[in-house]
Amino acid sequence: MNPLRVAAVFRRIVAQFRRDPRSLALLFVAPVAIIALLGWVLSSQQSTATRVAVLNESAQPVAGEAIASSLASALGGQPGIVVNRDVPNDAAARQMLKDKELDLVVILPADFSMQNRKIELLTLGLNPTGEASVLPVVQRALIEAVAKSSSGAVLPTIERTTIYGSPDATQLDTLAPVVVGFFAYFFVFILTGISFLRERVGGTLERLLATPVSRSEIVLGYSLGFGFFATLQVAIVLAFVLGRLGIPALGPVPAFAIGLGVQTIGNPLIAYLLVLVLGLGAVSLGIFLSTFARTELQILQFIPIVIVPQGLLGGFFWPIEQLPSLLQPVARILPVTYAIDGLRQVMIAGADLTSGQVLLDLGVLVGIAAFFVVLAAGTIRREIA
Amino acid sequence: MAGAGLSSATAPATAPATAPAVVPAAAPAVEAVALRKDFGPIHAVDGIDMALPPGRIYGLLGPNGSGKTTLIRLLVGLASATSGKARVLGVEMPSRSNLARIGYMTQADGIYPELSVWENLSFFAALYGQTDRAALIRALELVELDGRHGTPAQDLSGGMRRRLSMACALVHRPAVIFLDEPTVGVDPALRVQFWDHFHRLASDGATLVVSSHVMDEADRCDELLFIRDGRVLAQGTPDALRKKAGTDNLETAFLQFAGVTVREPAMTAGDLAASGAAATKTSR
Repeated sequence: MNPLRVAAVFRRIVAQFRRDPRSLALLFVAPVAIIALLGWVLSSQQSTATRVAVLNESAQPVAGEAIASSLASALGGQPGIVVNRDVPNDAAARQMLKDKELDLVVILPADFSMQNRKIELLTLGLNPTGEASVLPVVQRALIEAVAKSSSGAVLPTIERTTIYGSPDATQLDTLAPVVVGFFAYFFVFILTGISFLRERVGGTLERLLATPVSRSEIVLGYSLGFGFFATLQVAIVLAFVLGRLGIPALGPVPAFAIGLGVQTIGNPLIAYLLVLVLGLGAVSLGIFLSTFARTELQILQFIPIVIVPQGLLGGFFWPIEQLPSLLQPVARILPVTYAIDGLRQVMIAGADLTSGQVLLDLGVLVGIAAFFVVLAAGTIRREIA
Repeated sequence: MAGAGLSSATAPATAPATAPAVVPAAAPAVEAVALRKDFGPIHAVDGIDMALPPGRIYGLLGPNGSGKTTLIRLLVGLASATSGKARVLGVEMPSRSNLARIGYMTQADGIYPELSVWENLSFFAALYGQTDRAALIRALELVELDGRHGTPAQDLSGGMRRRLSMACALVHRPAVIFLDEPTVGVDPALRVQFWDHFHRLASDGATLVVSSHVMDEADRCDELLFIRDGRVLAQGTPDALRKKAGTDNLETAFLQFAGVTVREPAMTAGDLAASGAAATKTSR
């Protein structure tokens, strides 16, 4: 062991890093930026008020109304809650939830009475975890309201229902369909970026461009190739997420199940369509960004820039509406945002191609893909000799 | 025959590569008019005029960094000229459709290491619109890679990769062939084969533009263009250039045309090739 040689190697590594500002940025700037983004999202969440309707459907309207109004005023006293008492009936409330004009409906059901104190909380169910974040506030308001009414200290029971899915849906049930899209985006981007980088660096792109092939042919061929692999990937991941195959115990191996068995009422083909269009955008983005990399490592360095923000802001963990207002416009230009929304609509709400929301998501994804196709084609001939 | 099959008798009627039939014999196959390419303040190609009649082998000779590769890229249409014009077979470059009649062997091998010999060749053949399977087989025979169809390119020796690269550039029977330092890293025996092959292609009517910094290859060209600092210093047959310079050594002739007086030992003739060879890896 020669310390001089060790020191020489050490100095060389430091020198190399100093000449490589991208790696330095990856080491120091990217984590700070990501943690800052995370902190920003977490600390400034719910900048928008939660819109709650209180609905009295009780067969004893007078008794119900007393509870309902004290509940409404107690809720109104909670920070970040806006109470709406003008919703006429259950059907109207459901429509307003679907139109995202309401976040939560508190219903005193038909069989509500002073003896049978049961209250229903109705949410949309597309993002049960996010929706559940308002529940403690509602519960606190309920306790206050009951304490004020002093008509018996029996707390009402709370029953949660959702329009789509079920309130018991686990994180897994709602995240799994969305993960499908995210994985496809991630891998297609990385793999296209690397293989196109190899074309540029390995001299094969130069050869390609010396043939009569056109730029759009190259981009299209790439899209087909990676679309093919994205299709395989989506098929396998969807099969794993949706399917469940029980394997009986065999000798020393205990019984186990392959697949997550996540419930869905949506059409997997429409989900696939969404992921495919998302993936085509990723192909072109990979080609485009390969212009700015000289090694495979530098392609990987795009992950914190391209992939992580989309994971944080795309509605993966938090609904767009709950993001800080400055970040909301950013979230609305990210392709993953639209893919996640579309996948939720299809896989959890069971929407099909007649749904305006799904068509909008699909349309935006097509637009984004087309934008990057043009951008990618533009970078292909602009080579520095 | 794949690369050599340019005689109008054997070339298929559909192939646009039958240049001699398309271009009148008098018209130059490769032409540059006041061709210039700047990279910032550097004049990589500094106003080159040339007109090369078809059916001959032209050697672009000059040290690394003299502008040979940039000149070829301009002629192939891979780079856009700052000013001036480049024409191949009478068509102004860049022209995508004209590329079907042009072969270009790059300095780097430009083949896909994961793909087999046959997959590489058939990929480039498809891009050039060469659908004749027999042409592919002949191209491999010519570079003596038949029998290696299934070998991944990454398992080939350096010389074999070079040969595969050449097969990919010739598979569509181009009428004009640009070869950028085709013999770098090629052993002497194979180098002789390469040149024999070039002469066969030329005698079949193809026009070859071969860049090199190795002077001992220069004698095998029909005509030489001495290039330095993006300019053509002199053009002519090897004999004519030697006579003009009053020397029997092409390297001395080159240096004389370059205006270099042979005063330092470091600038003796042999060093042109030597320094060029050393710089090859980092060039481009």
